[in-house]
Amino acid sequence: MEQQELRHWEARCIQEEPPLCRAGCPLGVDGRSFARTMAREDLAGARAILEKTMPLIGIVGRLCEAPCEQYCLRREFGGSIALGGLERLCLSSVPGRGKILRLPARPKKVRILGSGPSSLTVAFDLAKKGYPVVLLHLADGPGAWLRDLPESALPTSVLQEELARLVTLGVTFQPVADLDASLYATDAGDACYIGQDDALTPDLRTMLEAPDPMTFALAGPGLFTGGLCSVGHPYRLITDVSQGREAAVSIDRYLQGASLTASRVPLRHGQTDLFTETKDVAVKMRIVAADPANFTRQEAVAEADRCLDCQCLECVKHCVYLAEYGAYPKTYARRVYNNSAIVKGIHQANRFINSCALCGQCETLCPKNFSMAELCLDARRLMVRENRMPASAHWFALLEMRAAASETALVRHAPDKTSSQVIFFPGCQLAGIRPDQTLRLYARLRELQAETGIWLDCCGAPAHWAGREEEFSQFRDRLAGIWDSMGRPQVLTACSTCLKIFREHLPEITVASVWTLPLTTGAKGVSRPALALTDPCTSRHDPATRQAVRALLTAMGQELAPLAMSGELTECCGFGGLMEGADPALARKVTAARVAQANGVFLTYCAMCRDQLAKTGKPVLHLLDLLFADTTHPADEAPASLSARRAGRRLLKAKSLEELPTDEPWEKLSLTIAAPVAALLEERRILVDDIRQVLFHAAGGGASFEHGADGRRLASARLGEVTFWVEYRLVSESYHIERCWSHRMTIGGGGES
Amino acid sequence: MSLRFLPQDMNWICRPCREPLQPGMVELHYMGNVFKVELPVCPKCGAVLIAEELALGRMLEVEQLLEDK
Repeated sequence: MEQQELRHWEARCIQEEPPLCRAGCPLGVDGRSFARTMAREDLAGARAILEKTMPLIGIVGRLCEAPCEQYCLRREFGGSIALGGLERLCLSSVPGRGKILRLPARPKKVRILGSGPSSLTVAFDLAKKGYPVVLLHLADGPGAWLRDLPESALPTSVLQEELARLVTLGVTFQPVADLDASLYATDAGDACYIGQDDALTPDLRTMLEAPDPMTFALAGPGLFTGGLCSVGHPYRLITDVSQGREAAVSIDRYLQGASLTASRVPLRHGQTDLFTETKDVAVKMRIVAADPANFTRQEAVAEADRCLDCQCLECVKHCVYLAEYGAYPKTYARRVYNNSAIVKGIHQANRFINSCALCGQCETLCPKNFSMAELCLDARRLMVRENRMPASAHWFALLEMRAAASETALVRHAPDKTSSQVIFFPGCQLAGIRPDQTLRLYARLRELQAETGIWLDCCGAPAHWAGREEEFSQFRDRLAGIWDSMGRPQVLTACSTCLKIFREHLPEITVASVWTLPLTTGAKGVSRPALALTDPCTSRHDPATRQAVRALLTAMGQELAPLAMSGELTECCGFGGLMEGADPALARKVTAARVAQANGVFLTYCAMCRDQLAKTGKPVLHLLDLLFADTTHPADEAPASLSARRAGRRLLKAKSLEELPTDEPWEKLSLTIAAPVAALLEERRILVDDIRQVLFHAAGGGASFEHGADGRRLASARLGEVTFWVEYRLVSESYHIERCWSHRMTIGGGGES
Repeated sequence: MSLRFLPQDMNWICRPCREPLQPGMVELHYMGNVFKVELPVCPKCGAVLIAEELALGRMLEVEQLLEDK
């Protein structure tokens, strides 16, 4: 990924966009953090948040007219958060920290005419940056109209304190008889700011043209002005302070010889791209203070607690994987970029990249269509190209894919037919998990169209998901060749993933879902209470199939229970994108979260979803259980083991060929595997086939050990990328399997120690 | 990777050779890396025993480290 691409990705995630309050504050105060901190009753922490962005905090915090409240998302749900009142309570409750840090002194000087809020802000901002500032004020003292405010609004002591802080920052206050044109004309210094929010003489005022509205620069070099707000303006103070701040930014740029406008962010006036969902927000009325002028601490905390804490997180809220890593796509894009950029050292994000289900829910939920699937799949492809994809991440799924495409693959026309109008492609999971129902469905398809062939194979999705472009491309060519050899029939799949792969990667093939056909037989099925229908994630962009499934269910009189995230918002079962291979524990969490979304029995039309969800113990039905009463499986049936799926595919092939499965020599061995051992095999992805091969190998003179005392035996063999170990006892000609394990390392030369 | 991986129970016999296993230095290879480790070995044919706790413990850790998984 190039840095430019990273910027493109980052820009599409809006989570870091400012909330409305911050976008509506001309000083960019983080009202959201402030309110959240106040709600936790951490008033000192809340004051520290204000201090980050607010100049002259004692004054501005007390007098701020809170223009942010115009934009607050809470406004329609009980009234905007009273951020102005909260600021006042916070400042009057918590004393300031005292000293403000000042950058090292700089040589160029700043001269300020006038001492209104805008001038004091310019002085504050530039003195902090190390500029020596001289501020000229009238003889009665600095502050201009701030001096006329009642004590209740701005205590004299607070004004004096802020002025004293300016002195400690290096501001020199100089009284003058009049703020007149003579000061403007002479001794302008290196930069000069004229604050119009003070009693300037008319001759000086008439000399000042309107400044540039963004930079507050006047035509003359080094001259700036602001404080232009009229007396009756509802946001007089904060507008003048904001103008002072913008002028200070310009003066700093000017004195450093930089452009006044280059990459300068204009004020947002409440504009932000942050999206916050409000459909579940309940009205909560604004807290009415007993003393209308001031909140009590308790009232303030309650008011702050009304803050909606505006965030987008639309994707993270619904995705266990995105939530698991504690952040959101913008930072994830950075992680993926950094991971790709590392040449040497540990790639911290490999597992992260390989754990995405590639299900596309985030993209559908995101107001800007951010696709983690695209981000992660691109990263996987790069890892494969650069030969640094962890070998174990997708190992098992790829083995399954290759076996389904070779050992248990089959394509043929219907018995007694020599051509196929259509061809049934059940998909390797349905074939492995429900071979009996696959045949039943095939029989029904032949009732609808006699010239229906059968094609047992894998669509290559694992290679695609694993980022193995070359292998996937070969897979695609192979599939296209087979289809061509069968006379280019229409393909009917029973798997949403196969359907998606065919549609997106083999567009020359006409393909449809079997569920779009009139499959109901009219035979009376079992009447069941309402079922929670979970759409497979690969059907997200296939409304036609989703509707066809619902039409079949309606035709059967089957009612559905509500399930929030369904249709185009549906969730992954925990297998998609090979998540399970990269992070099995996370996949279990994803599955558990999905089944927790509805009570009662689930229903799906993807065999993988059925067995994945059933792993939690939840009763789950497959659509075929409803369609064909003669081959129905119970909802609480345990998921098929990996070994059973292999065997299922073999059985299906044999039955399709109307012959017995051809036994490999090791298939004759008699094994006994107790349930806890079978569970261990499943978790460790060890097939019964693997065990048989190891034992067969050992019996033929391969590596084999025997315990000196208790009769246990150990056999091992390298099968492909993995060495398998089987611990067993031989009990009257039968192998009683006790433990199995594997490793990927290979054993090299040995010798005496 | 520490160099000694002898299981507590060393009472194993190589079935083809009928020899009790002895501690022996063995090379383990993974992704172009080589580790010399002391493991139970048949003194006659050199067959090596990898116990479950080693395969699923330190060996797996090192495999995953090398894979950057």
